[in-house]
Amino acid sequence: MAEARTLTLQRALAALVLDPEGAAFEEDPAAFARSQGLPEADAVAFGRFPGGLAAYRELARLSLVDPIETMFPITKALLAGAGAWEACVDAFLQARCVASRHYRDIAPAFLGWLAETGWGQATWPYLLELAHAELLEVLVARFPEAALPQGLHSDPGPQDRLILDPATQVVSYRHAVHQTSEEAPVPEARPTHLLAYRDSVGRPQLMDLTPAAAALLVRAQMESLGEAAAALGLVDLAATWSLLKDLRGRGAIAGFQVAS
Amino acid sequence: MAQDRFPGQGRFAGVGLGLRRPHLEEAAARPGHGVPFWETCPENVIGDGGRPHRDACAILDRDPVLTHGLAISVGGFDAWDLDYLHELGRFLARTGTPWHSEHLCFTSVDGSCLHELLPIPFTREAVRHTVARARDLQARLPVPLLLENITYYAELGQAEMDEAAFITEVLEGADVGWLLDVNNVYVNALNFGFDPKGWLARMPLERVAQLHIAGHTRFGTLTVDTHGADVIDPVIELMQWTLARLGRPVPVLLERDNHIPDLEDLLAERSRLQAAYDDVLAVPVRGEGHG
Repeated sequence: MAEARTLTLQRALAALVLDPEGAAFEEDPAAFARSQGLPEADAVAFGRFPGGLAAYRELARLSLVDPIETMFPITKALLAGAGAWEACVDAFLQARCVASRHYRDIAPAFLGWLAETGWGQATWPYLLELAHAELLEVLVARFPEAALPQGLHSDPGPQDRLILDPATQVVSYRHAVHQTSEEAPVPEARPTHLLAYRDSVGRPQLMDLTPAAAALLVRAQMESLGEAAAALGLVDLAATWSLLKDLRGRGAIAGFQVAS
Repeated sequence: MAQDRFPGQGRFAGVGLGLRRPHLEEAAARPGHGVPFWETCPENVIGDGGRPHRDACAILDRDPVLTHGLAISVGGFDAWDLDYLHELGRFLARTGTPWHSEHLCFTSVDGSCLHELLPIPFTREAVRHTVARARDLQARLPVPLLLENITYYAELGQAEMDEAAFITEVLEGADVGWLLDVNNVYVNALNFGFDPKGWLARMPLERVAQLHIAGHTRFGTLTVDTHGADVIDPVIELMQWTLARLGRPVPVLLERDNHIPDLEDLLAERSRLQAAYDDVLAVPVRGEGHG
């Protein structure tokens, strides 16, 4: 490549920022630069600006870590309590999985990295669920607007399937991660079903669901409410319709349409 | 030249504000805010949703807007995200901005976005590369491209020219406009020990379409462009000196990204800067250009 020197310099600065070796950069900047494949003149230049180059490591890492610390305070409290937060952040940064130019995507990238690598989950089997629950309301609050199907009606019937609001999510965890706090970040091991949705003014809301209600909200998106209720053994259909109407009134359900 | 290059510039003058998330609800509900224009970062709006997004769109559809990108990585090597560029083009057309600005830096390496404005080497090779990238980007945008001078805290590799020569060669080689950040000039002057007015006097001021101004913070021996403090008087004076040199009322944008105050306090600082802006443009000016 014609611009090989420029690219090598940029890769060296990225390594200084993201890789563990960058932490020891100031001990011998020129040696660090040589280890990145830079020619001697550029390696010597690294030695002329150790403070400034180190500032880039601090500033860029701060920029990447700040949204994680903001979005995952309980996850941070859990890991910091075990002296593992810094190691977690270091491993995430070194993995270089922030590809998006949208700053709001850094926190979801961290969650994706936890899911993909399983980092820490041998020690904290609820870690991924905890982080997911922390981000859930933010993802719901910021979900992009989407067009709804035409002809939705507001009252459910047994022949209908339900259409959730595009921002709504039904999630199930093995732990009660939504009841944790920074002071008590370890969740109780208890199956938990949550409905996350935007209310009429766009604020995210979280609702505990029974297992049957959670299953109904999932199944009745693909089959009729009557079929879903029968499959789940729900006999009190009046209570079911009442719940669905309530969820529509809250904004979690966009409406109903006849199942095809 | 500047007027020919930026035909919509006449609609933009005075001191505007960056549109920031904590102020969206209040700004949307307050059409009589007195801010002559907003500057918005497309990365923060494109693909977003929810109530703050609706507030942002309501403001962008109502008020004059300039656009300012954060992470396109003009000086980098990663291929353009063509889907994003398509969305960006639609967004720019929607806002009616007369130009779109990006930073003269790189932000991504090998597909990894560092979300920091990183310095391009001051070399002939990097000039050629950045000129080619900026020309290519310009060809893909529906409005003229401006590049902004950044603060830098170190030269990356063995420099073959100084910052002023590097910026000039890129702007002229790519034939793009300049978003001149006077605070960045001031901060670089502090960190590298040069006279900011002497530096500006060497520059192609006829390419300037817009100014940025902001606060900075000193950490030990290094001054950092934090956008987290009020603008200090020497930077305001440098803005006035620059406006006088330009001899035309280019829009000035007050940036505030950290320790963001209440909108009322920010409006008060904007008014302070507007008064300084009006003072300098109320008297005969000398005109622009090199030297």
